[in-house]
Amino acid sequence: MNNLKIAATERSPEVDFDFERGVLVLRGESYPEDASAIFGPIFSALETFLAEGEKREVKMDFDLTYFNSSSAKALMNMFQMLDHAAAAGTKITVSWFFAPDDDTMKEFGEDFSEDLKHVIFNLVAVEDAA
Amino acid sequence: MSFNLFDAEEKTLEQAEILRAGLTDQPESIRTGINDLVDAFSRSVREQRRLVRVSDRLQAQLATVNQELARRRAEAETALGDLQAAQDSLIQSEKLASLGALVGGIAHEINTPVGIALSCASHLADSTAGLRKLFEADNIGIEDFERYLATATDTTTLILSNCERAAALIRSFKQVAVDRASSERRRFDLGDYVRETLASLGPHLRQAGHTVKVECPAGLILDSYPGALSQVLSNFVMNSLIHGFDSGQTGTLSILIDQPTPQWVRLIYADNGKGVPESDLSRIFDPFFTTRRGSGGSGLGLHIVYNLVTGPLGGSVSVEKAANGRGVAFTVTLPLSSEI
Repeated sequence: MNNLKIAATERSPEVDFDFERGVLVLRGESYPEDASAIFGPIFSALETFLAEGEKREVKMDFDLTYFNSSSAKALMNMFQMLDHAAAAGTKITVSWFFAPDDDTMKEFGEDFSEDLKHVIFNLVAVEDAA
Repeated sequence: MSFNLFDAEEKTLEQAEILRAGLTDQPESIRTGINDLVDAFSRSVREQRRLVRVSDRLQAQLATVNQELARRRAEAETALGDLQAAQDSLIQSEKLASLGALVGGIAHEINTPVGIALSCASHLADSTAGLRKLFEADNIGIEDFERYLATATDTTTLILSNCERAAALIRSFKQVAVDRASSERRRFDLGDYVRETLASLGPHLRQAGHTVKVECPAGLILDSYPGALSQVLSNFVMNSLIHGFDSGQTGTLSILIDQPTPQWVRLIYADNGKGVPESDLSRIFDPFFTTRRGSGGSGLGLHIVYNLVTGPLGGSVSVEKAANGRGVAFTVTLPLSSEI
């Protein structure tokens, strides 16, 4: 399937889903006025990709510095979708990046990963997170 | 008992667990369905907790940012206030400094006639004492008396003319100085006043060897603030002397006055010196703009000109390259009465 590449805007993150390599990246800030306009295309692409059902490795990176409540709900939905796919046999590794001095983003990562039972989840502190 | 935000949800979940536990004799499809519902509700409650946390943190961040913003804004406003106060006080001291230069000029100008009168008076006193000695010794001859008369005539003529000169200078300076110090508004003849102001700057101008040209229609009466006008002219002239010419270079300063409309006069001050780079023209009236920071320029001279012309004098001022491309020209437009 076609890769999904959407450039970041002031209020929405960069989307770089390389489906061929199985490397999916969300990077930047997310506080769109209309969350469904931003996350709609992301979800439908992700859904199609995961439904292909190939037993393969998928890496998904969340490299976010700020998001609003709608985006938080969308992220939780995404995590649940990934966990279902992992339960069905896809090997999924999620990495949650945060700047070392950004406790808030670190705690959000810990919170969001609570319900993950099948996904491999990494919290990664990085200098110069986007 | 502590307050629990999700008390109702937790109780509902407990009820659901009890319900689930009591379903053992129900058909498989019902048990699975209830299981899924309980799981989904449980997940939903967890998500709700997270979302509340996300929202609270975002609000807290926003509040912190707002506080920081308010603090910085207050800081910036204080700094701006301090700067304005400093600027006002610098402008005051610059005005005083130029009043000082004016007084210096006056002293220098009056010194010459007073000095001549003094030496003449002293010469006359000596001659008188000599004559008295001869008279008391009864040794006075007609030639001695004739010589004394010639001396007395010459010296008294010189004393009179120089004292008159000094008195005339004092009269004209007095008006300029009083106006400058007081900021009184009155009616005055523009041409005469411009000449009086230039006379007080005479020593500076003569020292540099510049020619000064004044053209003004006779009998042009302004009802305005002569002190402010005098300050404006002084600053123009000092500006030309300091910036317009290299030392040893002589030039012409000109003040052309006309009356384009019945209620307004136009004064064009120009010199034929080095002029001002195009890039500096737009900033020339800005406070603290100077090309001579290192050598004592305060950058306030033309700012004061701008403030006086647009403030008390009620007019406008602009700058351009002089018409012939050499030097600089300032155009000041003033109302005949500063009240309009």
